[in-house]
Amino acid sequence: MNCVELQESLAEVENGSRAEQRAHLRACPACSALVTELNQIVAAASQLQGADEPSPRVWNSIEIALRQEGLIRPQRAARPFVPSFITRWGAARWLVPAAAMLLLAVGLYVRQESLPNRLAKQAAVVASAANPSGLNDDDLLQEVAVNAPAMMPQYQENLRRVNESIRDAQGVVDESPNDEEARRSLMDAYQQKSMLFEMAMDRSLP
Amino acid sequence: MAVNKRAAKLVAIGVIVAGTLVVAESRKEYHFAVGPRAGVSVMNPYGSISVRPSLNNTVVVNAILHSDRVEVDNNQNGNRVDIQSHLLAGADADSGRVDYEVLVPADASVTLHSSTGSLRAEKLHGDVSLEGPGAEVNVRDISDAHVHVKTMNGAVNLDNIQNGHVEVDSLSGEVTLTGVNGPLVQVVSTSGRINYIGDFGNSGEYRLTSHSGDIEATIPEGTSADVSARSVRGEVHDDIPLQPKTHNIFPLDKGRAFAGTVGRVAVSSTVVLRSFSGKIHLRKRSEKQ
Repeated sequence: MNCVELQESLAEVENGSRAEQRAHLRACPACSALVTELNQIVAAASQLQGADEPSPRVWNSIEIALRQEGLIRPQRAARPFVPSFITRWGAARWLVPAAAMLLLAVGLYVRQESLPNRLAKQAAVVASAANPSGLNDDDLLQEVAVNAPAMMPQYQENLRRVNESIRDAQGVVDESPNDEEARRSLMDAYQQKSMLFEMAMDRSLP
Repeated sequence: MAVNKRAAKLVAIGVIVAGTLVVAESRKEYHFAVGPRAGVSVMNPYGSISVRPSLNNTVVVNAILHSDRVEVDNNQNGNRVDIQSHLLAGADADSGRVDYEVLVPADASVTLHSSTGSLRAEKLHGDVSLEGPGAEVNVRDISDAHVHVKTMNGAVNLDNIQNGHVEVDSLSGEVTLTGVNGPLVQVVSTSGRINYIGDFGNSGEYRLTSHSGDIEATIPEGTSADVSARSVRGEVHDDIPLQPKTHNIFPLDKGRAFAGTVGRVAVSSTVVLRSFSGKIHLRKRSEKQ
C-alpha cells in the first residue's frame, strides 16, 4: 500500500486499523503524522458542545470542499470525461480536506477563546490547528506554479495579503479576547485563506 | 509595379492567415431536454461563460472553441447537465480557450467555473454559484435565489438581486452591489473595495467586511436600517444622522465607529460594516444618482 492508497482508504476505515494500513503507517512518517492530526481533530471535536458549533459558513466551506473533491458528487455511470481530481493532483488533493479541517479546527478554536477553562484543556490540540503553517504556503504555490504558472504572481500577492489579515485579526483577538466581532474577523480571515486553497485546487484549473 | 506585387503578396498572406484562424476556431451547439429545477454546471479553464434564460425546458449550449487543442465534454444525468472544457496536450490560455453562451430554464440552478474568463448570469430565479480565481463576475436580475460568488481578484458586480441569499467572497477584487436585497447579503473581502448602492431591503441581514479595502454604502431617502460600522485602524464617516442606540456591543470611538438607526425602527434591516484598516463611508444617495 502506498501513500495515495492509504489516504484513499482512510475514508473507508478510520484510524488506519486495517493490517495493510498499519503496516504502511509504521513505515511512513508523513502518513502517520497525518492520521495523528486527524485523530486529534476528531478527539477535540468530540469534546465540544452544541453551543460551540461553528457558523453555517464553515459547514458550507466543508461541503464545497467535499463536492470539489467529488466525495458527495453523484456517481456517474459512464467514464469520467475529465481527468479525475485524484489523478491530476495526487497527494496534493489532500490539501482541500486538510484546508476544510483546518478551517473547522480554527473555527472551534476561535469559539473557544471565550471559554478560558476549555481553552486550557485543549490548548495543545488547537495550537497546531491554529497555526497557519498547517496549510503549507509553499506547497500551494508549488502546485500553482505547475498548474497555472501565469497566475503565480496573483496567488503570491493574495497569499501575502491574507496572511497579513490573519496576523492583524489575531492581534485584535489577543488584545480583546472577549470581542465577538474580533473573533469573527479572525474566522473570516481564515475563511479567505481556505478559499485561496480551494481555488488553487479548483477543478477548472488546467 | 513592384510595390503593387508586394502589396498583393501581403494581402494574400493575410487572407491565408485569417483563413487559418477561422478554420482553427470552431462552434459547437448542444441541446438537452430537462425538467423543472434542473442543474447545469459549466467548468471552463480559459474563456467566458454567459448564462441567460431559455424559452422552454431546454438547455442550449453554444461553445466557441478557439483551437483544436480543446474539446467540449458534455454529460446529462437525469435532470443535471455537466459541461466541461477538456484541454488536450499542448493547450494553453489561448488555444485552450472556449467561450460559452448557455441558455437554461429560468428556474435552473447554475454553477459556473472559469479561471480567467468573465462569468455572467442574468434573469434567472434558480440558485447561482460562480467561481473563478481571476474571473470577472456579473450577475443581474436574479430573484428568490441563492447567489454565491467566489473570486480571488476578479471584479464582482451584482445588479438587481431581489430577495436573494447573497454571499460574496473575494480576496482582492472590487465588489459592487447595486439594488441587492434579501434575507442575507454578505460580502467578505481581504483587500478589495466594497460598494453597496441600495436600500438594504426590509428585514435582512447585511454584512460587508473587508480587511484593508474601503467600504462605501450609498442609501436612498426612506431607508430603514440598524447600522453599525467599525474600522479598527481606518476611519469611518457618516453623512446621515442616525438615531443613537442605547446599547452598543463595542465602544463607539469617534472616527473609528458609529452605530444607530436610520428611518423607521419597526421595519428595518441590520447592517454591519466592518474593516480593519479600510475606510467606511455611509452616505445618502443624491437625486442625480
